[in-house]
Amino acid sequence: MLSDRNPYSPIVKMSAASASSSGSKMKNVENDNSSKRTVGSVKKKSSGDKNKKSESNTSSTIIKVKSVIPKRRQDLLKWYGWGYKDSMFKLEGNAATFTGNRYSIGGQTLPHLAQWAIDKFGIDPSRDPKIPELPKTFAESRLPESIRLELEEIAEVSIDGMDRLIRAHGQTLKDMAQLRTNSFPRIPDAVIWPDSHEQVEQIVACASRHNFVIIPFGGGTSVSGAVTCPAKETRPIVVLDTSDLNSILWLDKEQLLARVQAGIVGQDLEREMRARGFTVGHEPDSYEFSTLGGWVATRASGMKKNTYGNIEDLIVNTKVVTARGVFEKSCRVPRVSCGPEWEHVIMGSEGCFGVVTEVTIKIRPLPPVVRYGSLVFPDWESGFYFEREVARRRLQPSSIRLMDNEQFRFGQALKTENTWGGVLLDGLKRLYITKIKGFDPAKLCVVTLLMEGSAEEVSERESKLNNIAAQFGGIPAGATNGENGYTLTFVIAYLRDVAMEYDVVSESFETSVPWDRTLALCANVKQRIRNECAKRGIDKYLISHRLTQTYDAGCCIYFYFGHYIGNCVDPVSTYEEIEEAARDEIIACGGSISHHHGVGKLRKKWYADTVSEPGRQLLLAAKKALDPDNIFALGNMAFEEHSNNTDVSVKSKL
Amino acid sequence: MNVGRAYVDILEPRRKPGGIVGFMTRNWYPQHTMTLDKKYSPEDLKDLVANSLYMDSIMESICSRTGATKEELQKIVHNFLEEMGLDKKVHVIRWMGVLFLKICFMMKIKMFVNEVAVFKLKSIMGNNPVLFLPTHRSYADFCLMTYLCYHFNIDFPAVAAGMDFYSMAVIGRRMRETGAFYIRRTLGGDELYAVTLKQYVKTVVAKHAAPIEFFLEGTRSRSNKSMPPKYGMLSMAMVPFFSHEVSDITIVPVNISYDRLMETTLFAYEHLGVPKPKESTGGFLKALHNLNDHFGYIYLNVGLPISAREFFNQNPKVLNSPETAKPMDLQAVTPEQFKQVQSLANHVITVQQKNTMVTIANFVALTLMQNIQLNKLATIDEVYADIELFIKDLGYFGASIFVDLKDAVERILVVHQKMMKLDGEKRLKLIIASPMELSDEVKKKIKGHLMHPETMATSVSVIQLQLYVNPVLHFLVPASLLYLCVFHDPGQVTEVYFERVKVLRKMLSHEFFYVESDMEDKFQEALTFCSRHDVLAYDKEMDTLKLGKDKKRQWMLTWTLAPFITTLHVATLIMLEQHGRITEAEAAKRIQRKVVEFVQPREEHWLGHPYSLSLEVARNCLRGLADARSLIKYRGDNISYEAVPVNLEVAHRLTLSVLHRIPVDFHNNKAVCNQLLQSRL
Repeated sequence: MLSDRNPYSPIVKMSAASASSSGSKMKNVENDNSSKRTVGSVKKKSSGDKNKKSESNTSSTIIKVKSVIPKRRQDLLKWYGWGYKDSMFKLEGNAATFTGNRYSIGGQTLPHLAQWAIDKFGIDPSRDPKIPELPKTFAESRLPESIRLELEEIAEVSIDGMDRLIRAHGQTLKDMAQLRTNSFPRIPDAVIWPDSHEQVEQIVACASRHNFVIIPFGGGTSVSGAVTCPAKETRPIVVLDTSDLNSILWLDKEQLLARVQAGIVGQDLEREMRARGFTVGHEPDSYEFSTLGGWVATRASGMKKNTYGNIEDLIVNTKVVTARGVFEKSCRVPRVSCGPEWEHVIMGSEGCFGVVTEVTIKIRPLPPVVRYGSLVFPDWESGFYFEREVARRRLQPSSIRLMDNEQFRFGQALKTENTWGGVLLDGLKRLYITKIKGFDPAKLCVVTLLMEGSAEEVSERESKLNNIAAQFGGIPAGATNGENGYTLTFVIAYLRDVAMEYDVVSESFETSVPWDRTLALCANVKQRIRNECAKRGIDKYLISHRLTQTYDAGCCIYFYFGHYIGNCVDPVSTYEEIEEAARDEIIACGGSISHHHGVGKLRKKWYADTVSEPGRQLLLAAKKALDPDNIFALGNMAFEEHSNNTDVSVKSKL
Repeated sequence: MNVGRAYVDILEPRRKPGGIVGFMTRNWYPQHTMTLDKKYSPEDLKDLVANSLYMDSIMESICSRTGATKEELQKIVHNFLEEMGLDKKVHVIRWMGVLFLKICFMMKIKMFVNEVAVFKLKSIMGNNPVLFLPTHRSYADFCLMTYLCYHFNIDFPAVAAGMDFYSMAVIGRRMRETGAFYIRRTLGGDELYAVTLKQYVKTVVAKHAAPIEFFLEGTRSRSNKSMPPKYGMLSMAMVPFFSHEVSDITIVPVNISYDRLMETTLFAYEHLGVPKPKESTGGFLKALHNLNDHFGYIYLNVGLPISAREFFNQNPKVLNSPETAKPMDLQAVTPEQFKQVQSLANHVITVQQKNTMVTIANFVALTLMQNIQLNKLATIDEVYADIELFIKDLGYFGASIFVDLKDAVERILVVHQKMMKLDGEKRLKLIIASPMELSDEVKKKIKGHLMHPETMATSVSVIQLQLYVNPVLHFLVPASLLYLCVFHDPGQVTEVYFERVKVLRKMLSHEFFYVESDMEDKFQEALTFCSRHDVLAYDKEMDTLKLGKDKKRQWMLTWTLAPFITTLHVATLIMLEQHGRITEAEAAKRIQRKVVEFVQPREEHWLGHPYSLSLEVARNCLRGLADARSLIKYRGDNISYEAVPVNLEVAHRLTLSVLHRIPVDFHNNKAVCNQLLQSRL
């Protein structure tokens, strides 16, 4: 029942070639009318010259990566939602489809999805989806022309409205709601695309000189509001788009290290490494779009962290341009005992301290065998204790996840039309699990496994895991189920868009929690949400969770919550209230503010309590040391989103 | 300072019967430069390069830029390495050694070496790579250095050789087997070649436990004196030190001086623009035939070893570079480090200059050249007297002098019997060769201005003599310039002269290499010399200078620099006439033509020093003028220049102010005997 997978074929179907060709096919006709556009159409002479110069110099080990994602992101990516614009869920009557051919379910009919949505949320799939119109008007750019010209000397700049709008936000529910209605209180005044560390230095120096704000922008996939434009900022805001900072500066196959510019997109990095027989192995669910620098700034975690580590384990060196100069450790060493590790001040700094320009990151040889697996458990608790035991014995494969029953059933709803044989097999399996083993279909939970290594290692690990599973009543359920589970990871992100189009607001949030408090936390948070919904008269909603990462000292729990807006006057605020209540409950139950999403602007409320007052003071002190003029005024974590004294200096300087 | 006593003729023991074979077949356990756990064979070295991270990274990058496949590139790199890589076959070296000694005996050579310095060097070898940086005046330099190492039981050096040898049948291969590795002179454009070379040099320095030898000047000096160094090779060789792969690198400047260069005539023609023939084995054999003659002594002055670590220690930025955060193999030379490499290279050249062995051949040439310019026929006793004076003065400027005066002059007259001779009354004369008709084929290839055959013949002979004057000139340059400045404008304060000398030195810096930071000391030295000998009269109170009374030394300081200043001045003239850019080759040619007009007011009468016709001097003057910001230099496939009119005007006036016309008819001269006339008579 196990399938060995060729490690060279990526899990998600994508390639630079197909992406760029479909990108040009999908070119939005309306967008081309824009006359202000500078991206792509006007090539700055100066930046071209600079490229040449840097190449002829010491750059001979540089691998310039052709990114899947074009500079005009909107040509390939959905401007009003998640992901590629050719990929989305569509409901037409009772038939649901997923468009495009980028993912395994692409182009296929999903016969069970519409019914599931009707049952769960009471939506009306017969009506047209609410697709927003392309915005026509944008706030005037506040960037004085003189500064713009100065910036254009350094790198390519755009003040086009669409370019600015799509870089005004991340991917929170609120971001999406405001984006769809073009109602951001503040959008950036310009976008700049540096392609080298030196250019970033010049841009930051320019910002210090003229006192404008810089927001470093990578893939724009933040789900904490971290990258969202600070609403009350009065100074000009320039988004520093890192997408041109995407070269591999060197690759050391012996030391298994790569020096990479921080703007490289996850899938580009992974593709380039795989082409050379290596992998970084850092795969957050956003890795198709998020960037290396973004991972550093948010302290990201990847699905396969058990094998490859989280971002803090993967990074050897970081180079950061701060307003006070370039921050970098002078040596490339595995560990150092030299007072506090300041690199960790940069990891998770959420853009408030500077721009990460270059990173030395570990790479690994591609595993010869990648194998999926799944296990079925009669209920959440037995699945949980299985995970706990695996972690206790440190037997985690690359990924091990436990889905609750809701998610299991949602997964069933996402099943595509099957061949007769498949249906029959499915039927038999179901028969075996429910009738012979006596699992309750409304309670059973599924563990998905991703194992990597030599054939021997993988088989050995698998049999050990099966043995442990047996102790907790679990039974193997095949590789296909496992593989489907991981494929869905990347598709699930598209659900929120279709949900919004049919009046459902939804979002995910996560936490980390010690093992001993996990079960209670899960139960309490679910109950709290049910109560909050009841209080507000919301009866069509979904609350689900899964256990996505395990550690020695605890695990990561991922919640999904969505509700039908029904009679809500302000559904987004309602959602946020409920999520806030849920987070209060999480914290009270011993969970954390976040496992890998970060604090941003959404979770500031819990920051100080989490780090203690001296901790907060340290953060403020770091800010004062690195960015006294608040050039990086993103206002995340403990930072004010707006400070009065800056107004004065703006007037005097501009 | 006469250093003769510290020198030993290392060929002496070989002259005994059976001295060659016994020596060349002895057991070979040489002193290595360092002790490595693993010994790397020549093939290992190439493999290390081919499989290095550096090469891999570069190839990945090139693939991503050009779409070439890695296999293609690997093949190219493999071919590069086959072309480049050194080999080491001890039996070949033994045979070559036998041949070498046979030829030496045929040429009646003595090879003097300051043995003690070599023993000292050997005693500190063993811990880190050693670079031998010899001067390059003759092709023989290669062989001498390798023989030196064999003699003293030092592992054979890996020698960087130009591609011209590569294509020579048999010899190219044999040279490779004696440790030569081949490098292309121009790396322009071929990135993959450049990086392969870089990596190869780096690997040889770090992993080949034998000395590395290359010529800082990059090519043979055609003028028998030092040239400004090229920095590329040294900076490549220093990489293992900068990356701390090795703890130190020992740099050994070596000066090799010859009583008689094999290439004298060839060089003289090259100065005038007649191209050198391509190196070929046939040519080599032909040259071999000419070697059955007296070539006199060769002096190898092995300088004090310089520790790179100590040299760079003055600058902490050089030892700790941010590049250490990169993989060791990818560590590049930082701009700061490159600057220091430059100053190291410059330092080595000055050491070579200082270690130049001034020999009796130079003194005789100096005396003869001086007399020619005076149109004076000197007896052998007068020659001795002149030589004594030169020895004294050059000794003052710190020259290493190797003289055994009594029989030396006679010895030199045998060695240089084709160039000079004593007439019946024991008076010294320069022999002027009979004019030779150049074939049309050669004429086509001439890079310079085509001259009258007689002018050509005279020039070639005088230039040959000048080649033995050249090596001592750098000692005299500061005093000479100072004297000329005062002569033409006496009574100024020393500061004024200092400034002028400084600018002139800069303009002549490619002709007479010096390090700018030494300028002040050298000026002081010159001032002391001039005032001590009453060349100039120094007024202490006013700090001014006037002319003194020592006519003899004044004359010496005048004629020695005259040809160079003539060319420099003419260069300013040509460039002032020129509108817009002009290539270096074209400008040099025009300078040469102008010099002919300038010093030859009437047909047939040649009234100037032929060395000012040298294309090399012309090129050096252009480069110097560019350094002094009178010209803008454009690099590229062809170097070209453009005037900076304001500055060039100043340069023009300055050179005019020190221009000293010495009208000498070199053709009809008392101190010259004309072979042509003789044969006609």
